[in-house]
Amino acid sequence: MGITIRQATINDIQAMQNANLHNLPENYQLKYYMYHILSWPQASFVATTYEDIVESNDTEAGEEFGGEKEDPKGDSAYINRGEKIVGYVLGKMEDDPEAEDKTPHGHITSLSVMRTYRRMGIAEKLMRQSLYAMCESFDAQYVSLHVRKSNRAALHLYRDSLNFEVTSIEKSYYQDGEDAYAMRLTLELDELLPSLAQKGERDDLSKDLLESL
Amino acid sequence: MVAKKGNPIFANKEDGNFREALKLYDAKQYKKALKLVETNLKKNSNHAESLALKGCINHNIGNKSEAESYVLKAIQKAPANYLVNHLAGIYYRSVENYVEASKWLKAANDNGSPNKPILRDLSLMQTQIRDYKNLKDSRQQYLEFQPGYRANWTGVAIAHHLNKDYAAAVSTLTKIEGIIKEHLTDADRYEQSECVLYKVDIIAKSGDIAKALATLEEDSSEIKDRLSFLEYKARFLMLLDKKHEASLIYRQLLQRNPDNMQYYNLLELSLGTVGNSVDLRLKLYEKLDSFYPRSDPPKFLPLTFTPSSHARFEEKVRSYLVPQLKRGIPATFVNVKPLYKNHKKLKVIEKVVLDFYAAELPKIDNPTVFVWTNYFLAQHYLYLNELDTANKYIDDALKHSPTLVELYTIKARIVKHQGKFEEAADIMNAGRELDLQDRFINSKATKYYFRANKVDEAIDCISLFTKLEDGVINGCKDLHVMQVNWVLVESAEAYKRLYHEYEAKLKEFKESSPLESEESKELENELVENIETYKGLALKRYNAVLKIFKIYYNDQYDFHSYCMRRGTPRDYIDTLEWEDRIHSTPIYTRVLKGMAEIYFEIYNEQQVKQSSESPSIEEGKTTKKQNNKKNKKKSQINKKKADFIARVESEKDDEDPLGAKLLSDLTNDDQIIDKLFQLYKPLIEEGKDLRLTHEVLYKTYLIEGKYVLALQSVKSLNKVLGGSSDVKLRSIGERVVELSETAQNDKNANAAIVKVVGKGLVSAFPEFGELSKEDFLNVYSK
Ligand SMILES: CC(C)(COP(=O)(O)OP(=O)(O)OC[C@H]1O[C@@H](n2cnc3c(N)ncnc32)[C@H](O)[C@@H]1OP(=O)(O)O)[C@@H](O)C(=O)NCCC(=O)NCCS
Repeated sequence: MGITIRQATINDIQAMQNANLHNLPENYQLKYYMYHILSWPQASFVATTYEDIVESNDTEAGEEFGGEKEDPKGDSAYINRGEKIVGYVLGKMEDDPEAEDKTPHGHITSLSVMRTYRRMGIAEKLMRQSLYAMCESFDAQYVSLHVRKSNRAALHLYRDSLNFEVTSIEKSYYQDGEDAYAMRLTLELDELLPSLAQKGERDDLSKDLLESL
Repeated sequence: MVAKKGNPIFANKEDGNFREALKLYDAKQYKKALKLVETNLKKNSNHAESLALKGCINHNIGNKSEAESYVLKAIQKAPANYLVNHLAGIYYRSVENYVEASKWLKAANDNGSPNKPILRDLSLMQTQIRDYKNLKDSRQQYLEFQPGYRANWTGVAIAHHLNKDYAAAVSTLTKIEGIIKEHLTDADRYEQSECVLYKVDIIAKSGDIAKALATLEEDSSEIKDRLSFLEYKARFLMLLDKKHEASLIYRQLLQRNPDNMQYYNLLELSLGTVGNSVDLRLKLYEKLDSFYPRSDPPKFLPLTFTPSSHARFEEKVRSYLVPQLKRGIPATFVNVKPLYKNHKKLKVIEKVVLDFYAAELPKIDNPTVFVWTNYFLAQHYLYLNELDTANKYIDDALKHSPTLVELYTIKARIVKHQGKFEEAADIMNAGRELDLQDRFINSKATKYYFRANKVDEAIDCISLFTKLEDGVINGCKDLHVMQVNWVLVESAEAYKRLYHEYEAKLKEFKESSPLESEESKELENELVENIETYKGLALKRYNAVLKIFKIYYNDQYDFHSYCMRRGTPRDYIDTLEWEDRIHSTPIYTRVLKGMAEIYFEIYNEQQVKQSSESPSIEEGKTTKKQNNKKNKKKSQINKKKADFIARVESEKDDEDPLGAKLLSDLTNDDQIIDKLFQLYKPLIEEGKDLRLTHEVLYKTYLIEGKYVLALQSVKSLNKVLGGSSDVKLRSIGERVVELSETAQNDKNANAAIVKVVGKGLVSAFPEFGELSKEDFLNVYSK
């Protein structure tokens, strides 16, 4: 698909804000994204297209010179020529000095995937990266989040794919009066290595990759 | 007056009063403070500190226009008085004039102010204005004042780094690490980890990769961010040509994140397989696929490097596509679309899907597979611009699943490509109505309304997802507050198309009805009014984005201190670099592009007006006023206008809600080209790789008769567009001719300059000196 999942950087935040505005009613000014990246640089991830790789790998291409080089598209999803952000997870550690629970724990501020790219596992992958990083870099013991009661897709993702548990229902949590499920997942670093979820063969690093081919 | 350099002693009554006033000022008791200051000034109108404070107070109580004059007076009377300097600094900071503010805070410190926190404020401003040279000194002095905080050491290291003094940065970081080592608590571990990685990164930047690697290994136990650790390590190993070791690290990185395409590429580089046989590479990816069966890159990347002529290409395409079609993945088409740049691959993909459609589909029970395959083919033929075929496939799918939102988005896009914008918007909206909860489809419908120039419908649509404050009729204001740039740009462009439409109508109208009847006058006035309204609004929306980017730029200010305390120097440095490029990011450049078009239009109108006697728009205006006076329905019109304003207002009580003032200021500005140049100035540095930059600058230089600069722009443009001695571009050839002719025909031009430009053109584009104009343009024809 030419989709890559990688850590978010400050270069991505304009397009993350754009994706958030396209997908969700809970929006934030750019400074809040800056605050996330500059407080917990490890905790946020993006899914981006990566078209350039296709061209540079293709030995047949380039036969047809496409004429003049174009500027990157003036589309707010783009961060570079051929690279646009189609999904993101914005994560943070609890930093409210008033919070009851002092054990370090993470929180998912926002997660969304452009509709065109949904239902192929991007959100789950973004989440797994963020959870792993929060646990590893910030010693998060658990992570919590809120989800609209009516949001079937997200609920399925959190509860069934990622094993979150509902801890409570928060009445009228959202601006429009809808209730939220408060959910939480206990984090265990050893179990969180993202590739484990794929249940593939394990790459035994002691063997030469090319030898057996 | 003698400056109280070194030690201001509050010897007299004035000074005592002043001290008291200062306290009140700090406590935000401005009225009381002002009273004391004025008592002082009554006695001694030369009391500089009081004057300066009066300026600050005035600013805070809202007398903004007068405030600066007091500050200036104070500075004039006592330029070396550190209290005055400090207050001047405070004043300029509050008006966000960081250049002046840092100048005066620095003066306060240089003139002996004992108030050391000034240095901290000063360093924030120096960073904001990128005065890195002086930043180093203020960070250093502040560190000497408060060496007990790691943040201050990090600040000094960053300042050295920004001055490219890598050695000093590393030694600062190393020193504090040594001092603090024994005292680290758990809470400090994250900061420690980040600072260690920062140090390693700087060592690598300085070019000493071996040392960077050694340091990284040595400090490994301090590093919590293992992703960075591994990425750094792999990169260093590659740079040191230890490819085998690097390959092992890339394999570890893949275990962490098997969906990062970059790692696969780097793994191959480290394994040396890139130039190798396709068969070997295919086997490698099959292996990787067995490790990461749910990741896309091991499946997709082989499609990029396997030539279409390879025996296994078709099989690989099939095994990639068919499962996705069967599972009904909406993105199946966009997943393979990047491969379409190679037309032969496109053909293979087409064959695979058509085969599947003909041979397998009929055998499959699950009807949704039929729908998604049609959905794929509709997009495929849309890509090929075979709109009828595309339509056939999407209609089949729609007939089958009339409630599947995705189908509407493609149907709408096909119809849009047929040029039927309103119909397209209606189709997208029908899709939206099938899933009212989903903002994505709402955004699409909004966008399609904009493209159909239905701005009201667009705003009403998106307002279903914006905050509505009391008494507000739509989300327009909220869209501004929440920085919804994509909507602002789409609005501006829709308004622009609208006024262009009205301009065309006006032209047609004038050509067809030369009769000067009362009625035709009125019609003409209406057209003129519409043109002005929508042009003003287009400018208004474009300017709103510029304003938002100003906010984006100012947003960094708080982080100049926050990141030192938080201990995130690496991402902080990225942030500074990002802010330094922010004007070349896609939305901003799209706005600048649109604005340039309007500015050039207005400039051309100014030229026409100057040369002809009948300034038509002006004429329209005066009669409009007369008519209005007569108009009995005036109040009704006002009501209509008020309603209109309520719908488009971008902030509460906006003084210029329709951008009328923006527009009239521009049309009356005889320096409009310079204004445009000022808008583009940041792009000279930040956007030097953009064609837009050089295209627009070229045009402004040409108009202003700056031919040497125009020559430079043509050359830069050629480079950006990919022109070379092999690739001779038409758009360059045309500009070469245009520049040469314009310069030669310009009677006011300096002959020597014209000569320089002529020579420059010939040396950059040799054929220009050898061939006739026609032949030259024939050569530059790509
Ligand atoms: C929620 C959202 C992020 C999911 O993104 P996604 O990339 O499509 O999700 P994934 O493909 O990773 O799906 C993860 C799981 O959820 C399931 N799922 C996804 N969409 C679903 C839907 N509409 N209905 C039911 N289940 C769904 C998937 O089948 C998958 O389950 P599986 O592992 O059993 O196969 C996306 O729908 C979205 O952006 N929605 C709008 C914004 C939003 O609601 N964000 C969440 C706020 S808390």
